[in-house]
Amino acid sequence: MSGAGASQTGGAGCGRFTRDELELAAIARSDPQAPVVDGLPAHLTECPVCAAIVDRIAADNALLAEFAQAAPMPPAPRSTEESGPIQSGPILGYRLGDEIHRGAQGAVYRAEQLATRRTCAVKMLLRGRFAGERERIRFEREVEVVARMRHPSIVTLYESGVSRDGEPWFAMELVEGDRLDAFVRAKSLAPRQVAELMKRVAEGVAYAHRRGVIHRDLKPGNIVVDGEGAPRVLDFGLARSDDEGAAEQPGSGTTLVGEFLGTFAYAAPEQLSGDPSAVDSRCDLYALGVVFYECLVGRRPFEGARSIAELVTQKTMSSPERPGALNRAVDRDLDVVVLRLLSADPARRYDTADALVEDLARYLDGRPILARDDSVAYVVRKTLRRHWLASSAGAALLVTIVVSGIALAIAYARAERERVRSDRTLSSFRDAVGSVNPESAAGSAQLTVEQFLELIEQNAATELSAEPAVLAGVLDTIGIVHLGFEDAARAEKSLRAALDTRRALFARGECSTAELAESLHNMGRVLILEGRLADAESAYREALALRGDALGDDDIRTMLTARHLASCLRRQNRLDEARTMFRALEARARGRSDYPPLELAAIINARAFISSAEGDLPAALSQYQDALATIRGELPADDYRIGRSLFNIASTEEKLGRRVEAKAHAVQALAILRKRKGGDAATVQQAEALLARLESDPSAQR
Amino acid sequence: MDLDRTTTALLNGLFDPRNAAAWEAFDRRYRPILIGFVRNCGVKQTEAAEIAQETIVRFVEEYREGKYDRSRGRLGAWLVTIARYRVLDMRRKAGTAKVERGESAMIDLDDDKSVGAAYEAERRHALLREALEELRTKSRTDPKTVKAFEMLVYHSLTPQVVAEQLGMSTHDVYLAKSRVAAKLREIVVRLEQEYEETPGDWEASGSRPSDGLRA
Repeated sequence: MSGAGASQTGGAGCGRFTRDELELAAIARSDPQAPVVDGLPAHLTECPVCAAIVDRIAADNALLAEFAQAAPMPPAPRSTEESGPIQSGPILGYRLGDEIHRGAQGAVYRAEQLATRRTCAVKMLLRGRFAGERERIRFEREVEVVARMRHPSIVTLYESGVSRDGEPWFAMELVEGDRLDAFVRAKSLAPRQVAELMKRVAEGVAYAHRRGVIHRDLKPGNIVVDGEGAPRVLDFGLARSDDEGAAEQPGSGTTLVGEFLGTFAYAAPEQLSGDPSAVDSRCDLYALGVVFYECLVGRRPFEGARSIAELVTQKTMSSPERPGALNRAVDRDLDVVVLRLLSADPARRYDTADALVEDLARYLDGRPILARDDSVAYVVRKTLRRHWLASSAGAALLVTIVVSGIALAIAYARAERERVRSDRTLSSFRDAVGSVNPESAAGSAQLTVEQFLELIEQNAATELSAEPAVLAGVLDTIGIVHLGFEDAARAEKSLRAALDTRRALFARGECSTAELAESLHNMGRVLILEGRLADAESAYREALALRGDALGDDDIRTMLTARHLASCLRRQNRLDEARTMFRALEARARGRSDYPPLELAAIINARAFISSAEGDLPAALSQYQDALATIRGELPADDYRIGRSLFNIASTEEKLGRRVEAKAHAVQALAILRKRKGGDAATVQQAEALLARLESDPSAQR
Repeated sequence: MDLDRTTTALLNGLFDPRNAAAWEAFDRRYRPILIGFVRNCGVKQTEAAEIAQETIVRFVEEYREGKYDRSRGRLGAWLVTIARYRVLDMRRKAGTAKVERGESAMIDLDDDKSVGAAYEAERRHALLREALEELRTKSRTDPKTVKAFEMLVYHSLTPQVVAEQLGMSTHDVYLAKSRVAAKLREIVVRLEQEYEETPGDWEASGSRPSDGLRA
């Protein structure tokens, strides 16, 4: 631009530069990207008139920018069509600059908002994104929600619209920085620093979830670390249509396999199932788990899949290797947090992103994490590790906990006839344990419960070598303690030793069928934890056969094993077999007057789940109703399980198009779930989302 | 500044139960601020409106009982304290104690600084909205000038496009922008005085609550 434009726009200030040029100089105050007019900066240092004008323009712009953000927008033309034949580039009000990024969804450009002259990023989405008017309205409504979000870990969205060519776009804050994974690599961050970053990311995600906004497409490319090292999440709430589009176009996978796999690596198994109603805020937690994993060990949890089908199988059928096994600097707490996020079953992940934030805060403070909340022993371990045996009282406490646990196990394990012998053995065992001085034994303050239990195990092996039956009971108990730690490897070792011992004893007639069956059942539990579903299945099958023999098919313990087995089949997607088993179990349970109704309801519920997965919605509905009727009299009317049952019913009715009933049930479900008598926040969120869908649908408003 | 519209004048007016005008003006000014604040605590619109109303009623009661001593704190802080209790109370009644910790991260209700900043942002927003309303309806600013400003700032059009659409020169568009900015600045400065919250403003109006029983 030059002084030649003066005749058109009129001179300003001392007259040497045009108003246009002075406006540009004012913009340059807040935006270093603005073009510089030749000679103007030097002129401003000499000419007080022009300098004063530029000052005032800059102050005006700042005030008007504040208005643009704070005050409500007056009715504005929503698209170029309504605003007349204005030719100003593909997006009204913005000047597009360089392309910053191009991906499957569309392209991102550096852009300038012409009115405020602020630099921002404009993302153009692929054409044909909206199948119809309803999708467009939903997109706009969602953008409105997202645009209200203000959080230091979320990139602010300014506005959105539809371009002249019908392509949806949105403008957002431009954050200059690195992708999260590149940042972690470049800085060689330690696991603790990664956890700090992830905590900040999770805070942003939690903030959005509380507003009912799910990201659905979290991945390192959507998380940018700015110049100050602060992570910022991009594109919140904007991925929904993409998910649905992708699910509808399985054939497009041939050329884009690499790209799809790249994105799908972060998708939760339930997102890949093609059932949109199965997706809730916990899919973001799964994605955070994948990102976290990748940042800790440098690769994704399931690499090497060559097709989406293979990836889905891996995700649902196996557990990833724990991060600590690939990067020794990652400690067990982070392993637990990450693996919990990566659980195939959403119910096993954290309930909410807030819970993840809380646990990461605990981890960073050195307090016990809650991911293993269910294990008292874990907290004891963590507490003791912090003050590990600084006092011998700590050691004594742990010895008492472990020994009394074992004593209890032995008391249960041994029948009355062997009681005297067991007591004798136990006391000698207790002496053996007591003689273990943890401080001197490990020679350092680093002795962990794992090591301590191993010491007990070694001692038990020596001291109880003459009492293999008791030894097996002790090993079984130690295995269960490890299971409580979710330490599958150690649990398996102890439980397998117990199992092998009991097998040998069983062959000699020195171990009861019920005891061997119990060992097998526990083995099944470990194998499930390890994601080895086929091995778990055979353990459960053997346990089932033995329990059937020893206790009868109608014994509640036998039926419990049968239920575990059926669930294991369902997890392997062998729905026919699972359905048959659950059906038989249901018949048997109904044939007994003393069968616990809640157990029966769990069976019926599993059947409904299978019916739903197989697409038999009418059957699923009547089974969910049946499950509700079964628990109704058993529980207080506002118990969360009743609420959840109502939610299942509402959700199935929605799929059946029975929206009026669905809405009524969703309202009831939500009223109960919100009381939070047990249950989790995730179900509340799901129910809220369901009700919101139903309320936004005019056919439910009757 | 319109002395009848200052916060001090409104507060004085509130002493008189018959002074409906003061009550309405006070409500009109603070209700949107409180609704915005409570919404940012993660409360739904209808519930937020209810809490805002309860807060104002409660404040007026307390104020009339002489519990609010302006020399000891900002009006906003007092209002927020009432609203904060209402929000916590509502969460407790809804049995969402478990979420509470998480939700408070939006506005950390235990953190005075974050609460203060959130209130301040809402107050400023309300003030800017009022300024804009005044510009559009009460000021004598030329409608074409206002239109040019709206097209520039809210529709994000370039000065060239605005000029073309409105049949003005770009230079006139720039002048319109600067006129509107000047007008808005003037309104904002005045409203800031009217919204004044610091106890030092007592003297500005020359009246105290005890002798403020005027219609």
